[in-house]
Amino acid sequence: MKKNFLKGAIGPKDNDSRYLLDVDRRDLPGEDTMHRYSDDDEVDLCIVGAGAGGSVLAQRLARKGWRVVILEAGPFWHPDEDWVSDEAGSHELYWTQKRIIAGSDPIEMGKNNSGRGVGGSMVHYAGYCPRFHPSDFETQTRDGVGADWPIDYADLLSHYEQVERELPVAGQNWPWGHPHTYPFSPHPISEAASVLWRGAMKCGITMRVGPVGIVNGTFGNRPHCIYRGWCLQGCKVNAKASPYVTHLPDALAHDVEIRANSMASRIEIDEASGRATGVAYMTGNSNTERLQRAKVIAVAGYSIETPRLLLNSVSRRFPNGLANNDDQVGRYVMVQGAAQSAGRFPDELRMYKAPPPQVSSEDYYETDSSRGFARGFSIQTVSPQPIGWAEHVAAEGHWGREMREYMRDYNHWTTIGVLNELLPSADNRVTLADEKDQYGLPVAKFTHSLSQNDKDNIAYSKKIIRDILDASGAQDVLTISRYAHLIGGARMGTSPENSVVDRNHRAWSVSNLYVADGSVAPTQGSANPALTIMALSSRLAEHLGGANAT
Amino acid sequence: MSTLGEGDPLEPRDLSRPDHLPNLRSDGRAPDPSWLPRQRRGTTPQMIGRYPDYDVLASMSDWDAATTQVVQARMDVSVQMTFFRFEEQATVRRFCDVVMAQDCEPRVPVAELVDAKLCAGHLDGFQYDDMPDDRDAWRMVLSGLDTVARERYALSFAECDITDAERIVIDFSASTLKGHPWEELNEPRAWSVCHRAILSAFYSHPWAWNEIGFGGPAYPQGYMRLGPLSILEPHETRGATSEDPVRRVTDSPQ
Repeated sequence: MKKNFLKGAIGPKDNDSRYLLDVDRRDLPGEDTMHRYSDDDEVDLCIVGAGAGGSVLAQRLARKGWRVVILEAGPFWHPDEDWVSDEAGSHELYWTQKRIIAGSDPIEMGKNNSGRGVGGSMVHYAGYCPRFHPSDFETQTRDGVGADWPIDYADLLSHYEQVERELPVAGQNWPWGHPHTYPFSPHPISEAASVLWRGAMKCGITMRVGPVGIVNGTFGNRPHCIYRGWCLQGCKVNAKASPYVTHLPDALAHDVEIRANSMASRIEIDEASGRATGVAYMTGNSNTERLQRAKVIAVAGYSIETPRLLLNSVSRRFPNGLANNDDQVGRYVMVQGAAQSAGRFPDELRMYKAPPPQVSSEDYYETDSSRGFARGFSIQTVSPQPIGWAEHVAAEGHWGREMREYMRDYNHWTTIGVLNELLPSADNRVTLADEKDQYGLPVAKFTHSLSQNDKDNIAYSKKIIRDILDASGAQDVLTISRYAHLIGGARMGTSPENSVVDRNHRAWSVSNLYVADGSVAPTQGSANPALTIMALSSRLAEHLGGANAT
Repeated sequence: MSTLGEGDPLEPRDLSRPDHLPNLRSDGRAPDPSWLPRQRRGTTPQMIGRYPDYDVLASMSDWDAATTQVVQARMDVSVQMTFFRFEEQATVRRFCDVVMAQDCEPRVPVAELVDAKLCAGHLDGFQYDDMPDDRDAWRMVLSGLDTVARERYALSFAECDITDAERIVIDFSASTLKGHPWEELNEPRAWSVCHRAILSAFYSHPWAWNEIGFGGPAYPQGYMRLGPLSILEPHETRGATSEDPVRRVTDSPQ
């Protein structure tokens, strides 16, 4: 009870990022005075990737006294100058280096699901921060599909709570999965979201505001959200959570070095001992390779680049790529079905106002055998800006005058989407393509196909959001089939034959190599992955921090 | 009073009704744009739109410097194409005009914006395994459009009249073009590569924001009016059609 009175006033322990930020500038404080390590200095930990996974790990272990270097392929952002309130102008936020996509249901990459630069994909994620459900960790046991994790929900619980305080997450009390509350109150919502919520109520579907990693109140030097709606283009306000504001300020204050524009090309191993010795990388546009030595290496490049780096790290001991002697690296990469339907209403709704993530439902998250497929989906309101909305209209085959007509009607529309739990498949995988990038490194090829269960789930969920729009009184409906998010590719498991890493993220075959990002997840639930990726890294840091760097 | 098409005589535009939307019309087509009011303030493509007194650029002084610079750069009409070769330039201009139904001035310089994107190597971050690089796909599409135009009309694509050019693009969008280079291209995916780039260019331009009544960049100021009743910010205006503005003021004095 007492806790409820403190809503909005509980800050996290052991993370001062919110106080380290400058109220007048958006830059990551401490860049100028950042500790610098030399390549030959064998640091305690070298992390590849300054996103959700790598940043939390760095911040936690730096506080334990570890000497940490993060290699980040993309730029060190200066948001006041680099980020814009503009869709087309935000190109640099995304990983738009080439990837080849294949399979019967190829996944379009880039702005939709891939980040680049300090802060990673969370710089441009919408902001939804739901937890996984307890069932997500044992879908094989419960539902006979997917895979069981070697850890369970209880192992992550304290880390979910800690990360929710650090972001901080705002939302209504959460009735689904493991019921819980949030440290900050729910944000006000726009009329565009209210219309959809009223429709859901008529359908008997429960919706709740949030959960979003967006400040709603006083939180150190992080300002309150100003509802401008540009979450997907990088929050210039510092209200939306990303590692750039939630963990990296504290990391820099504890002597972490972030080496930006540094593309990891290979993990070096000692052929005699089989231990990793450092990370080879290239800076800027130079093809000259450098090598950062480290006692422990953590790969946090996410589901495409983590497998790619391991596969590109070929040695005598690992001729098929590092930690890949059992052909597990790059397998079981997952995306979520993310169809969206937009409805037309008599009044102007102007969906570009307020953050795109507003109201969501997990009523359909768990398996219900009467639906004819295993597992489920979540429902979330979204709000595309003009270019995103044009792609939505184009998905129904419109162009020319018809496109212009629908686009002129933009202010009368509002949009609702789903996130389907698509099941892991060994054949949905990252391999190396023949084509090479600017550094001469083979690019990733991502092959993806849907299973029948996936198709049934997607079809069912599209009908539900259509029902919500009809119940809302929509006069016309446009639907786009799409996918979102990435997870898997270097999963954790119980043996080298079924996984790349063990329950503590350690590669089965390399004793000082860890994977610290969403790649380790064996299943994905219907939840947006950011919070879980951070919680996993937080747990890994607790495990590693208990021992000295070796 | 213009109408929304034959047998569809709509009285003073009641925008709460959706009768102008293509999917709800018997022919699946948009009504002739003549039902729309002429722009009275600021610029829209072809000077049509639903917000005749709205000019997003009037708020530019409220935008942050970085955003202002990016948006202003798009309005620089002196930019020359560098990616598309001289012989491709007329084709790509005509193609972009048809795809966005830009049939008269003022036009958003879509082809120039696409050229700048391709020249800078700002690609979308993925390539289907049965497709060439986006830049090569563009060149193949343009040469293919010319080939079809010469076969059908003995003219280059750019020289075709607008109706003939439209017919070719209708076939491209429906993936029914035959012969070289269409046999070597996954046509729906090639259409998607071009269409996405064209849409991104057109709807990145503030004239298009005026046409659709988009609030535009909102930083450092944000939005305070999220609904349900007073949903307009001080700088936004209500959608309108060609009704008499004098009567409108009389009917609903502010």
